Amino acid sequence: MTSDRKMAQTTLEQRPAGGHRVSQWALAWRRLKKNKVAIAGLGIVGIFIVMAAFDRLVALYPPKCILGVSPACQLDGRLHSNSPPGLAYPLGTDITGYDVYSEIVYGTRAAFLIGVGATGLTMLIAVVIGLAAGYFGGWMDNLLMRLTEVFLVIPFFLLLLVFLQVTIKLAPANTGSIWLVVFVIGAFSWPGAARIIRGEVLRVREFEFIAASRQIGASSYRILFRHLFPNVLHIIIVLATLQIAASILTEAAVSFLGFGAPGSNTWGQQMYNSANYVEQAWWGTLFPAVFVTLMVMGFNLLGNGLRDALDPRLRE
Amino acid sequence: MTLTPETVLEVKELTKHFPVYERGVILRRKLGDVHAVDEVSFGIRKNETFGLVGESGCGKTTIAKCVLYLEPPTSGKIFFNGKNITEIFKEGKKDLVLALRRQMQYIFQNPYSSLDPRMTVADIIMEPLEVHKHIPRSQWQNRMYELLRMVGLEDYHAERYPHEFSGGQRQRVCIARALAVDPQFIAADEPVASLDVSVRAQILNLLQELQQKLGITYLYISHDLSTVRHICHRVAVMYLGKIVEIAETDELFENPLHPYTVALLSAIPVPDPRKKTHRIILPGEVPSPVNPPPACRFHPRCPRRIDICSKVEPPLLEVRPGHWLACHNPWPSKRLAS
Repeated sequence: MTSDRKMAQTTLEQRPAGGHRVSQWALAWRRLKKNKVAIAGLGIVGIFIVMAAFDRLVALYPPKCILGVSPACQLDGRLHSNSPPGLAYPLGTDITGYDVYSEIVYGTRAAFLIGVGATGLTMLIAVVIGLAAGYFGGWMDNLLMRLTEVFLVIPFFLLLLVFLQVTIKLAPANTGSIWLVVFVIGAFSWPGAARIIRGEVLRVREFEFIAASRQIGASSYRILFRHLFPNVLHIIIVLATLQIAASILTEAAVSFLGFGAPGSNTWGQQMYNSANYVEQAWWGTLFPAVFVTLMVMGFNLLGNGLRDALDPRLRE
Repeated sequence: MTLTPETVLEVKELTKHFPVYERGVILRRKLGDVHAVDEVSFGIRKNETFGLVGESGCGKTTIAKCVLYLEPPTSGKIFFNGKNITEIFKEGKKDLVLALRRQMQYIFQNPYSSLDPRMTVADIIMEPLEVHKHIPRSQWQNRMYELLRMVGLEDYHAERYPHEFSGGQRQRVCIARALAVDPQFIAADEPVASLDVSVRAQILNLLQELQQKLGITYLYISHDLSTVRHICHRVAVMYLGKIVEIAETDELFENPLHPYTVALLSAIPVPDPRKKTHRIILPGEVPSPVNPPPACRFHPRCPRRIDICSKVEPPLLEVRPGHWLACHNPWPSKRLAS
């Protein structure tokens, strides 16, 4: 008995400082911190969060301010439309006379709204379907997975465009709302995540600690939410991070094609508005695209880093 | 320790078959059954450690899982303190099932996978208390520390996570979790098989100590005959889903009668390399449990096979007081005197 304890204590002492009460999450954070690329991703996302939170401070002009016309931004009193980048407007102005840089800053909040909103809905559906299919198995698994495959087979993007067009035509009252786009992206993006979560549940379900709980007398509810869910949460976090990037990209594409919410100020919408003048004023289209790319890259780098940090196969 | 003849657990003609299906998209065709356990009967007395030995795949674990209804038995009856528990589990009345689960616990083979990696040791040990609520919530914490000390761990271990422990310590946590509900009966499925040899004796001694202190009855499953001899009072030997011999431990080791038991005992390593052992090598492989040999399942490999062995199944009979045997042509008594 004593030698057993001594042996264990020496191994504990060899662990890095703060070895007391080290949760799996603390270990994952330690691994993430070592990953420079992931930290760069985290940094990019962090900068965007600051930009969205303090957009009035970060931007040069108030939102929807026509340079030279609106009272808040008079400049020299003449309309600055499609002006190339200069001292007063570092990224140029668009056809209306908006400062491209300021409008991009105001678009950050919409990007987060779309990314987090659509991902929230996607993950909610994916988690419910993945957990139910993986845990209950049998006909439930069969039914849910066939349903998932149906959704996977449908060309997602095309469906999205048709759906948006139809809703806009049928319900013109909703056309200005970005929430419709968020809802549609969220409602159609879940199949991949649901399958991955189900697979992970199938793996975790076979561990003896699930059987141990069952033989203690634990209910299905307890097993699902106290044991299975916490043990697949790391996969959900990774999937959600990557899904945020995918949702932002999808919205940008939809809006750029003219199927987005016309009243919204998203980066895709800005690109769409400037696309016709790309020969005179390329900056109006290029710079929103650069910011979409940066944000998507930030979330993807972070997501990949999280996957490496949380992957149970790399866990000791 | 004195043995009282009071039977705690009685297993009657327990059978467990696992169906094998052909892979299909919608319709599955049944190909056959894996005969994991076939009409096995035995009884365990109060305060006893009953060993179940046999090689991998002979159905030892399946029996234990059926007893605790982790696997529903195909047929047969299991009585615990005179109650038909298979019925109670099958009906699934929550209070009755929980009352049974409180009396019967299971210790898993692999302490590395039987503890939830996302829970602290305190949460793991308190989970049975949360589920059963048999003691007031204000006492959970105290009870948890009491259990930790009982299995030889320290108070400060409570806040740690399973991955911070060695295999032996994890198995102690598993034992503490099993003890949390004050069970009368514990099925221990190879509790030391995945541990270092140096730690095995400590865990076995702990189990014995707890038995003496708390009066627990064990069903001890193992393929390791040396640990069985160390801890068990009576032993049943299994081959391919059947019990072939049951006897008191000393009787079985000194005077084995079934040819399979004799072969199994001859395979125990002897520490002295110069000592000559007559090891019995069985020809061939263990037959498939999907299609077990007819009559005596051991006959294709048996060195003492006679005609009747392939025609009539030998019943499990009491050949001398307390020694049960299923063999037509037993090994001559005392021939393998150690």
